[in-house]
Amino acid sequence: MAEAVSVVAESLAGDRARAARNVLGQVVLPGEELLLPEQEDAEGPGSAGERPLRLNAGTRSRGRVVCGPGLRRYGDRLLVTKCGRLRHKEPGGGSGGGVYWVDSQQKRYVPVKGDHVIGIVTAKSGDIFKVDVGGSEPASLSYLAFEGATKRNRPNVQVGDLIYGQFVVANKDMEPEMVCIDSCGRASGMGVIGQDGLLFKVTLGLIRKLLAPDCEILQEVGKLYPLEIVFGMNGRIWVKAKTIQQTLILANILEACEHMTADQRKQIFSRLAEC
Amino acid sequence: MEGAMLADAKIRTESGTESGPRVSGCSLRHFACEQNLLSRPDGSASFLQGDTSVLAGVYGPAEVKVSKEIFNKATLEVILRPKIGLPGVAEKSRERLIRNTCEAVVLGTLHPRTSITVVLQVVSDAGSLLACCLNASCMALVDAGVPMRALFCGVTCALNSDGTLVLDPTAKQEKEARAVLTFALDSVERKLLMSTTKGLYSDAELQQCLAAAQAASQHVFHFYRESLQRRYSKS
Amino acid sequence: MKETPLSNCERRFLLRAIEEKKRLDGRQTYDYRNIKISFGTDYGCCVVELGKTRVLGQVSCELVSPKLNRATEGILFFNLELSQMAAPAFEPGRQSDLLVKLNRLLERCLRNSKCIDTESLCVVAGEKVWQIRVDLHLLNHDGNIIDAASIAAIVALCHFRRPDVSVQGDEVTLYTPEERDPVPLSIHHLPICVSFAFFQQGTYLLVDPNEREERVMDGLLVIAMNKHREICTIQSSGGIMLLKDQVLRCSKIAGVKVLEITELIQKALENDQKVRKEGGKFGFAESIASQRITAFKMEKAPIDTSDVEEKAEEIIAEAEPPSEVVSNPVLWTPGTAQIGEGLENSWGDLEDSAKEEEDVDGTDGAVILGSTKMDTGVEVSNIGSQDAPIVLSDSEEEEMIILEPDKNPKKIRTQTISAKQEKAPSKKPVKKRKKKRAAN
Repeated sequence: MAEAVSVVAESLAGDRARAARNVLGQVVLPGEELLLPEQEDAEGPGSAGERPLRLNAGTRSRGRVVCGPGLRRYGDRLLVTKCGRLRHKEPGGGSGGGVYWVDSQQKRYVPVKGDHVIGIVTAKSGDIFKVDVGGSEPASLSYLAFEGATKRNRPNVQVGDLIYGQFVVANKDMEPEMVCIDSCGRASGMGVIGQDGLLFKVTLGLIRKLLAPDCEILQEVGKLYPLEIVFGMNGRIWVKAKTIQQTLILANILEACEHMTADQRKQIFSRLAEC
Repeated sequence: MEGAMLADAKIRTESGTESGPRVSGCSLRHFACEQNLLSRPDGSASFLQGDTSVLAGVYGPAEVKVSKEIFNKATLEVILRPKIGLPGVAEKSRERLIRNTCEAVVLGTLHPRTSITVVLQVVSDAGSLLACCLNASCMALVDAGVPMRALFCGVTCALNSDGTLVLDPTAKQEKEARAVLTFALDSVERKLLMSTTKGLYSDAELQQCLAAAQAASQHVFHFYRESLQRRYSKS
Repeated sequence: MKETPLSNCERRFLLRAIEEKKRLDGRQTYDYRNIKISFGTDYGCCVVELGKTRVLGQVSCELVSPKLNRATEGILFFNLELSQMAAPAFEPGRQSDLLVKLNRLLERCLRNSKCIDTESLCVVAGEKVWQIRVDLHLLNHDGNIIDAASIAAIVALCHFRRPDVSVQGDEVTLYTPEERDPVPLSIHHLPICVSFAFFQQGTYLLVDPNEREERVMDGLLVIAMNKHREICTIQSSGGIMLLKDQVLRCSKIAGVKVLEITELIQKALENDQKVRKEGGKFGFAESIASQRITAFKMEKAPIDTSDVEEKAEEIIAEAEPPSEVVSNPVLWTPGTAQIGEGLENSWGDLEDSAKEEEDVDGTDGAVILGSTKMDTGVEVSNIGSQDAPIVLSDSEEEEMIILEPDKNPKKIRTQTISAKQEKAPSKKPVKKRKKKRAAN
């Protein structure tokens, strides 16, 4: 075959089998395949052309690899299914394995077990509340799943109220179920959110960014005004400050953080602190 | 990535040095794409190829009507809206082509009993409309974060009466052409996902068009990659 | 799809903010959101953005016979579509109350105000008049659809050029844009809708409400006006009682807003005309803000197609076997035989071929005609087989290989497939398998 085809083949090989650790933090696209560290050597000398130099060749240990959002197992490789930056978290002990996931800027939420979300009560039917969480179907919430609730002592929840809760059942085949208590029966912050304050929607990526342990935005925001704030993993933020004006300012800052670099954010916060 | 870059550079230099008579028409018009421009849909993209422009919005995985629910996979719907008048048979047939292409790459089994809706609005038609629709829907699906096993792109080729091949034809070129062929190709193996043709052509010409479409798809996927990299440059 | 419900807390916050004269996006009570007008490459095509609300307008024309009672007047037709793209709750093909209300309001604002000289649209009285059709598509709904739609409609009408016609005796000649410059419509004035949202039984009012404000409003007053402060239509909905003073005050505000918007429209139209005259770049590609990180442009990219011919030749050489004359009768199934070349006989495998057709339809779904189907299948598998040769372990395969002993095995494999398609319908399942692999 002519040259162009060999070029295609070449680029395919380059495209398809990149080592996961080489592209950490880079943008990956759906359809790309990633090699896990173990397979890098298993591939043999045939594909040695683009293989990186490894320093810890001897000390490799087989760890458990967890496929996070945006990745699928594909034979012995990882197949990227969403666009975003590839992230990796080392497991607690030792090297190898760990969690790989794709950090995307999606808007639509898909319930995940254990996620804390903000929902809106849409209906009361018998013993359960139907809660809109932005997913493909409303979540159910039992009236007993509140701190201190008994059959006699029902929680005061009205249609249209905001609920901060956690998913106990969330998978693709079942109706998601929420609770507002932890495993010890304590509210630990969950329950009905107060009647004031502002609810607004941002992308799921921004929520993850704001909740990341190394994110300075929350600290900076906290320095501006005293505030109450709740983040739902489903892209909803509830914020309340002393006055309407302050609440609005906070909401607008948080929304704007999405498309700003760390330096730009610093400038904005220093400007706001002055005025 | 490096491979793709290399390939791209190679093709560019080759065509640069060639400057022969054959280069006529064998180029893609200028491309532009803007993602996430609409606030309501979960994903949106506007795709421009020359003067042809299509806007796409994607909702999903969202709630589905009981009548359309599929128990083991997502219901994929494509709605194509013409600019003038109401949608007719031509739109319906295109909707089907696009839907089947999307269905081949979208991992619908990950979200059973949900709906994924792609709404396409023709903003201006200046040739290669179906290819532009395909490209817009792919970018909007990526923007919405719908899981996919590969990206796809659409390429239109036109064959003139004298047998010359035109890639990404304008409306005028399409009108004068003897045959117009549109292909959808996937990004992983550059294989054919969909093809639709109009007019007369020989099998040799079909192969030529396919080969040219594959070469062009390289550029489209390269464009996808660059624009997505730009989009995630601040995260 | 259902709309996300509005929580009590949002409702309360919005109302309290309105009482304090604060708006979510930092606007003042009488402020409009930013208006951006961009034009397409065709005449009569525009996109109007009012904040995040976005409307696409397109004007088209057609020669039709006039209405019986108005023989000398052209016809104006408005059609606003609420696409599902704009909001999940809009269902395609449904005439909702909102849609009917908006369309009616547009008609009253633009047709009944006689802003367009319909008599100038007459070509031959009683026989041929121009029908001007205005299609408006809502692309994104963030409140105040009517203002955005009315701006889009009037801008598209101002931008539109219809082909020139001449009448000689009974003959009507239509000129293409190359022969004679198309002519603009004659427009007397530009009516523009201005919406006022009322809260708390009319105590508070906001201009240009956004989607969330619209959800908590009590009533809406729409005033259509032109820059000469002539009211074209007025509509109050939502069932609130307004005082005369309130309506008068609103009409004063509307006058100011309409003046601003008219100026903006005229500036946008002038700009576009200037660019077109100077031969600069115009169209939607130019209106994309390239400094945004979500936007990306690529200049014209040359594609090297110099080798496609060779490639195609090679594929065909590999794929097509020399024509083979079947000189002996071939017995396909008991009772059915074939001699010589000709169409393939499908008597023995009716079910098989039917299934195959279905399969192709189901998986590919594309409209592929018989002959092309074969070629694409072969082409794809051929390229795929470059790095990973596909091994078929069919016993029939071996038989066929013997026919071409002097070529290399890889080529024969592809060859046999096409050979089989042409000659041996009973072996179709093999090809199907191959096709599937290619599709994977």
